[in-house]
Amino acid sequence: MGAYTAQARGVALGILEYRVNVLLGIVATLMQLVALLAVWQVLLADSPVQGFTWPQMQAYLLVTFACGALVSTNSDFRMAFRIQSGLVALDLVKPVDYQRSRFAEALGGLWLEVVLILIVVTSAAALLGGLTVPAGPALALFAISMLLVVPLKFLIVYVGTLACFWTQSYMGVQWARIAVMSLLSGALIPLAYLPGWLGTIAQWSPFAGLTSTPALIYIGRVGFGDGMMLVAVELGWVIVLWFGARLLWRAAVRQLTVNGG
Amino acid sequence: MPPIVEARDLTKVFRRPEKDPGLAGSLKHLVRRRFTDKVAVDHIDLSIEAGEAVAYVGPNGAGKSTTVKLLSGILVPTTGEVRIDGLHPQHDRTAIAHRIGVLFGQRTQLWWDLPVRESFAVLRDIYGLDAATYRKRLARFDEVLDLGEILPTLGRKLSLGQRMRADLAAAMLHGPRVVYLDEPTIGLDLQVKDKVREFFRTLRDEGTTVMLTSHDLADIEGFCRRLVIIDEGRIIFDGDLGAVKDQYARERILHVETEQPVPVEAVRLALPGAVITEGETPNQISVRFDRFVLTAGHAVTALAGLATLVDFRVDEPSIEDVIRRVYSGEILFDAKSA
Ligand SMILES: Nc1ncnc2c1ncn2[C@@H]1O[C@H](COP(=O)(O)OP(=O)(O)OP(=O)(O)O)[C@@H](O)[C@H]1O
Ligand SMILES: [Mg+2]
Repeated sequence: MGAYTAQARGVALGILEYRVNVLLGIVATLMQLVALLAVWQVLLADSPVQGFTWPQMQAYLLVTFACGALVSTNSDFRMAFRIQSGLVALDLVKPVDYQRSRFAEALGGLWLEVVLILIVVTSAAALLGGLTVPAGPALALFAISMLLVVPLKFLIVYVGTLACFWTQSYMGVQWARIAVMSLLSGALIPLAYLPGWLGTIAQWSPFAGLTSTPALIYIGRVGFGDGMMLVAVELGWVIVLWFGARLLWRAAVRQLTVNGG
Repeated sequence: MPPIVEARDLTKVFRRPEKDPGLAGSLKHLVRRRFTDKVAVDHIDLSIEAGEAVAYVGPNGAGKSTTVKLLSGILVPTTGEVRIDGLHPQHDRTAIAHRIGVLFGQRTQLWWDLPVRESFAVLRDIYGLDAATYRKRLARFDEVLDLGEILPTLGRKLSLGQRMRADLAAAMLHGPRVVYLDEPTIGLDLQVKDKVREFFRTLRDEGTTVMLTSHDLADIEGFCRRLVIIDEGRIIFDGDLGAVKDQYARERILHVETEQPVPVEAVRLALPGAVITEGETPNQISVRFDRFVLTAGHAVTALAGLATLVDFRVDEPSIEDVIRRVYSGEILFDAKSA
């Protein structure tokens, strides 16, 4: 087995040890989903707002839930913990690339997340009386966009944890990241509801790809051409962040001080 | 052959933020950042030949762990250079990773949430070991370290002794040519310590280069031939362990128990140059002597002429006593090496 596959497999096996944590995390996201569904049902009861209809909003929120659950389990705490506790020292004497190893670990946790997403989305669809699925090309574009969520989210979280090399504490960084992420990704409210200038910034930021892009494609708010464009931006950020994170890592290692004896 | 580990003029300076306590202190630090420099490793020169077993000792905070981190490429030196097998730690990280093994006694590289066997399997794949080599090594480690009941246990459920044995195996699984062992016996009971020490000996006998850091000097006696002492970031001694003992641990104490009380004055006359002290009972006596002036055999023979011996025993000072005297400043090495 390859070095990275082995690391992904390690997490895939070990994650069941955390099933309670994973479940609680998903329950929290689920609560948020239920609350948002309730709010939007009231708001959109009579007429669409900014062009969003109630069925569209249902689908938007389900996609939001799925995007929120992807790459969510432990990966950031795991990485931050390694840096803070000095375990990163042992990662540095391994003949593997640090970033690819952490990515492999994030992929290893994916299977449980996907299982939970499928369970929640199918039962929600049943409760809400079925979901409309977009037509062929849009569906394909949506699938690509969802796939890109995985590396994109990993990279944003990864860059955040690299900040630990400088700050030595993760709580602050994590809160800031979560706040910015949920606002600019469209997870809190669709970007169309943000003030114009903020909406524009958000749309071009790396965060839009985390939720807004796949969700808008799914509900058909954007046509195929615009959708392609959004996915291209999403892909562009994945590439930029992948190499940017490498530069950041190099700088981090140069000034690394390992805590503890 | 060039040395396998070579450090030249190695220095590591840590910058520590100078903060007053409390929130006010933190805020002040944000505005006016002040730092103090801590020189953890101070212009060290060290070269280790392939196959050597080197003891690296020094008091707490002397810079031992920092040296290990520099020599394994974990930290980038402030000044100076490290070469491992001729390679540069930061430029040839992957190549070096295959050549070195590192154990920090206070940390584990095992996966917390996996059985030890699975952690080993991940390491096997990370280092690209073939199945046969892997099995062979594991079997050999099992002989000495007794891994049987450890392998199926989850990382976080191991006792300290089990964890250390598993970590030792993990550090050696890829057959590194150089290993750095930083406090590998910390917190272990005597029986496990013995096992671990036996494991070190098998490593050395197979030709692995070992650099061992420990506060338990029994770890190094009978294992390392070379002793390096570091204090406040500087190497204050680098030389042969036996020679140090010859020079600074010459004293022996002979304890004898006799059938009849021994006249102390008679012993003093018979063994001039030795210090005689009476024991707890009139039948016990202790003779302290310099082994280059008097031999234990000589002393025993002399005493046997004065009384019938029931029992006797010779105490040698350990390297521990010597090192303690070095730390306390009682022994000063004039030159860097003896
Ligand atoms: N990350 C760091 N930041 C600031 N100072 C550090 C850091 N790591 C170590 N030091 C300082 O460097 C000095 C040497 O530390 P080091 O851990 O190398 O000592 P040591 O010889 O291993 O001690 P011990 O026997 O206690 O393990 C100490 O004064 C320590 O406080
Ligand atoms: Mg130490």
